[in-house]
Amino acid sequence: MGWLIILIIMFVYLIGVLFLGSLAGRGRAKTALEYIAASRNLGFIVTYFLMGAAIFSAFAYLGGPGWAYSKGAAAFYILGYCSLGLVPWWLWGPRAHKAGVKYGYVTQAQLFADRFQSKALSVIMGIVSILAFFQYIALQMKGSAYIFEVASGGRIPFWAGALISYVVVLVYVFFGGVRGVAWTNVFQGAFMISVAWILGLYLPYHLYGGPAEMFRQINQANPHHLLVGPGTKMSFAAYSSALLVSVLGFVMWPHLFMKAYTTKSDRVLKQTILMYPTFAIFMVPVLFIGFAGVLQVTPDKLGAPDRILPWMFNHMGWSPAVIGIILAAALAAAMSTQDTISHAAGSIFQQDVVEVLSRRKHSEKEATLWIRISVVGFGIVSYLIAVFGKQTLVALLLGAYGSIVQFLPLAIFTFFWPRATKAGAISGLCVGVLYNYLIVFKVIPKLWGIHAGIQGLVINVIVFIIVSLLTKPMDKEHVQKFVTL
Amino acid sequence: MARNGEKSEYRFTVFKPGTPKNVKVRSIVFFIILAIIIFVQSFYWIFANKVEPYVLGMPYSMFFIVLLIIIEFIVLLLLYFLEGINERKGGDV
Repeated sequence: MGWLIILIIMFVYLIGVLFLGSLAGRGRAKTALEYIAASRNLGFIVTYFLMGAAIFSAFAYLGGPGWAYSKGAAAFYILGYCSLGLVPWWLWGPRAHKAGVKYGYVTQAQLFADRFQSKALSVIMGIVSILAFFQYIALQMKGSAYIFEVASGGRIPFWAGALISYVVVLVYVFFGGVRGVAWTNVFQGAFMISVAWILGLYLPYHLYGGPAEMFRQINQANPHHLLVGPGTKMSFAAYSSALLVSVLGFVMWPHLFMKAYTTKSDRVLKQTILMYPTFAIFMVPVLFIGFAGVLQVTPDKLGAPDRILPWMFNHMGWSPAVIGIILAAALAAAMSTQDTISHAAGSIFQQDVVEVLSRRKHSEKEATLWIRISVVGFGIVSYLIAVFGKQTLVALLLGAYGSIVQFLPLAIFTFFWPRATKAGAISGLCVGVLYNYLIVFKVIPKLWGIHAGIQGLVINVIVFIIVSLLTKPMDKEHVQKFVTL
Repeated sequence: MARNGEKSEYRFTVFKPGTPKNVKVRSIVFFIILAIIIFVQSFYWIFANKVEPYVLGMPYSMFFIVLLIIIEFIVLLLLYFLEGINERKGGDV
């Protein structure tokens, strides 16, 4: 009986989101600019949650407590990464926004392809982005399938659990465009943050009499759990390089970068960056959930660390209604990431691959239709990959996932170094991506435990600069457009 | 940062031409402060890799990280308002 009540609550949530998202874009212009970038007029609250939903993914909700539970202090990495992720954007986010208004870009690759006058660059970036997105979505699907498995007591199998919530996402992205994504994210964000805080504060007080007492007991039982470095779950080099590469790479994720084109003004963009550290503060109690589990269950009994959140409430004797709300919030975390990614993937595929390679320019109506078809196509492929994907395929996607940070030099050189050339851009990017793949496929070993992304980035920048200096400078007036924004 | 022997049009350009000096100085100062915050956050274990004392219910290390987040927030807030004053004066918007 209990599981039925849980499922009913989750379906009420799903239906609510479905309507909210599908109706959000009603009565708006039927243009690609509207569908992808909300005609460039989203305000602060919506942009804030739109960006925040990317952090509050299934990774944060299930993985965050899982890290705190299994890796201890290494989970602090999540706080650093959430708080700093948008800071580098202060340098070029507003410039990207201005360039978008001036020259009509709606995707990340359009900006770089125009600066470096290269269709190849656009297509390479489009393909790397979409491969990375498959991996991103697959992670969220695993999360949502697991949530349904817990909710139904194992009655809903993996393939169905992954499917149910993703169909809802695809429907509202299809109809609502970026506005559908944005408004559902406001709701989902507020919902999951409230639930996370209540849980994260309740558990330590209920089980230990307070967080300080909880940490004291953890420290007594295992003095290494709350530290990083030798003898713990994460080395110094791994912690620092992982945090640095995440901070540098975060806004280079195409679905985040392109939000520079959805905001009303560069002031709104700066407000979002400014308020972003609050999401890191929201994450603090989420980690408490995982720490609260350390002394409650042994890793052998738990199975996988990601299961700590469901394990906790299954052993608290709560009513099904409460569990239903918690699981719906966890589902919100997974879905609010899936929607942004699917929307961006469809937009990127149409704008940066189809539009660039096709001989004639599509009309606005055709373009919007193409994006919608791409969103659904992307959805189907990523679902099939998540459910049937084989090991080599996963490595292929992981390689792309780790390659996103390699877009960073493009952004910096576009806005600050007019001497950078097309040949430099393409060779730098290719070398960076290739290096990352060689590490993923274990052709070359990982050096000193430093994150592969950082290593690739160093080589990427060196190649980019050398090749640029060896090739003929690009047209003066053209490159000056981008540094004088 | 300028590379000698190259035409000025291709130089590494951080500020667009005509940026007032005080804006340049402010930007550089904030850039350095934020870079330090990113560095300290990434290498927090140099400064605070210890459990005790417990502050606000958190181990010292976690408290240190949260404190840095709050400092970061205040720095960004300050930067935002200073830029706002400037833009109103300069009529850039």
